[in-house]
Amino acid sequence: MRCKVFFLDGGGAQVSQENKLEKTNRINLLFDFYEALLTEKQQTFLRYYFLDDFSLGEIASEFAISRQAVYEHIKRAEEMLEAYEEKLGLLRKDEERSELLSRLQQVLEESGMSQIHKETAKQLLRQAEQL
Amino acid sequence: MAVRIRLKRMGAHKAPFYRIVVSNSRSPRDGRFIEEIGFYNPVAEPAVVNIDEEKALKWLQDGAQASDTVRNLLSKAGVLKKFHELKQQK
Repeated sequence: MRCKVFFLDGGGAQVSQENKLEKTNRINLLFDFYEALLTEKQQTFLRYYFLDDFSLGEIASEFAISRQAVYEHIKRAEEMLEAYEEKLGLLRKDEERSELLSRLQQVLEESGMSQIHKETAKQLLRQAEQL
Repeated sequence: MAVRIRLKRMGAHKAPFYRIVVSNSRSPRDGRFIEEIGFYNPVAEPAVVNIDEEKALKWLQDGAQASDTVRNLLSKAGVLKKFHELKQQK
């Protein structure tokens, strides 16, 4: 089996396609935090569109509604996610927290703390990361 | 029935991980897929993409439609370019 492995770095010509991928990532992260605050219908359409990558047309035919209606639902749901993030900032704070925790981990590794305390501290760090 | 290549989100809460899968256009959201041809991990720094080029080309030649996000990954991997070259040879 011949596999191609590579790393995505910024830059590159296809800006609009790149945005689609970035947007999928961002919306899915926001969805992790604010899912429960959306209506059931919005959750359903966002799952189809961003978690499973269905096209607007496919979702439209699945639910027997117009493509335009699907688009409106999704757009409205995206706006709500961004509005929640603007007010509550859970994603931003989580990213900052992860960054601080990984720095803390590094300091811990380099500290002269006794082995047993180090293990306990690492355990607590892992728990904090999973919150 | 149309065959699609899409990204399917896996991974835990706040730790996204995507499989690149081939599935029927009509298969339900949580349903089966035909084949997995790679993955995309946006959490790694930098993000990692792994694509089985042979399988991807085979599906494209059989007429599978890639979603916008998958097209993006395929074109970065140079798979789309190869696909167009193969098409022109015929």
